[in-house]
Amino acid sequence: MMIIAIIVGCVLGVVIGILTPTIPYTVSQYLAIAIVAALDSVFGGIASNIKKNFDMKVFISGFFVNAILAMLLTYLGEKLNVDIYLAAIIVFVGRMFNNLGIIRRYYLSKFSEKRKQNKK
Amino acid sequence: MKNKNAYIAIGIVCVVLATAITVQVRTMQGENSAVSQAFANSELKDSLLEWKERSDNAEVDLEKSVKRLEELRQTSTENGNSSEEKQNELKMYNQILGLTDVTGEGITMTVTDSAQTNTSIDMNNLIVHDSDLRSLVNELSNAGAEAISINNERIVNATAITCAGNVILINGNKVGTPFTIKAIGNQESLYGAITRAGGYTYGLRARSIQVDTRKSDNVQISKYTGALTFKYAQNDN
Repeated sequence: MMIIAIIVGCVLGVVIGILTPTIPYTVSQYLAIAIVAALDSVFGGIASNIKKNFDMKVFISGFFVNAILAMLLTYLGEKLNVDIYLAAIIVFVGRMFNNLGIIRRYYLSKFSEKRKQNKK
Repeated sequence: MKNKNAYIAIGIVCVVLATAITVQVRTMQGENSAVSQAFANSELKDSLLEWKERSDNAEVDLEKSVKRLEELRQTSTENGNSSEEKQNELKMYNQILGLTDVTGEGITMTVTDSAQTNTSIDMNNLIVHDSDLRSLVNELSNAGAEAISINNERIVNATAITCAGNVILINGNKVGTPFTIKAIGNQESLYGAITRAGGYTYGLRARSIQVDTRKSDNVQISKYTGALTFKYAQNDN
């Protein structure tokens, strides 16, 4: 069910992305960091769904607030001439790997359980 | 019901994510970003290696063809006086064009960038430029040099000596300091032309460029390895 939602979403997104016009080069920096934030949110959502503590408010607010904060950091970094967005990327990617670990463990244990049952 | 909402929310975020990624990829296509520059660099290196290999292969092929041509010439001119004459004529023309290895008396000179590291002097004066080499070649030709080579690049009538950043291109091949210039001709007149007071090397020495000129009875100059082609010029007779 989850996988279907993700695949349908991605296909729809690619179609929309191809239809929309390209954006200016300067904006693309902010979009890049927003993409990383969105990826983090997706992984976080899947992981929390597995842990059965998914909260819609937390998910949606996290998505927007994280993306906006990351973009603000990029803007600030541009003004200060420091690559602050790197910090945001490190945090997001670190969390992504954490969440991926949770997802991986869940499906691995599910898989081995099924095998045990089959053997019995 | 709560679970279903979660799926929908994740799906919607996926839509946004995929849209953003697609737009971003399309925007960055053909842009010269820092990341893509690193990739472009390695691509350039790859193609450089490829072309180098091709050039090496072509040179080997050329050498083979030249040998075969020589063989053919010999077999076709084996009998008959007139054909022998023709063969000698061919040899002479090849020598004039610089397509044969030649040996004879002449001079060998080594021109090296200045060893000075004093930064208060204009750096441009401390290195050997393409114009310096051109002037030296000119000087040697004027003194009656019959064959000239710089770092084993034979100077022929199609030779260009040009600047390419930190190296010099001769016959399209890279050469760098130290430059070994060999010339065959009258030893005394060549040596005199190079070392005379107020001559070109005089100016080079004033720029603290190291010039070492030696007379030699046995200067060996290798042939021009490129192809001499005439595409636009046609004989009028």
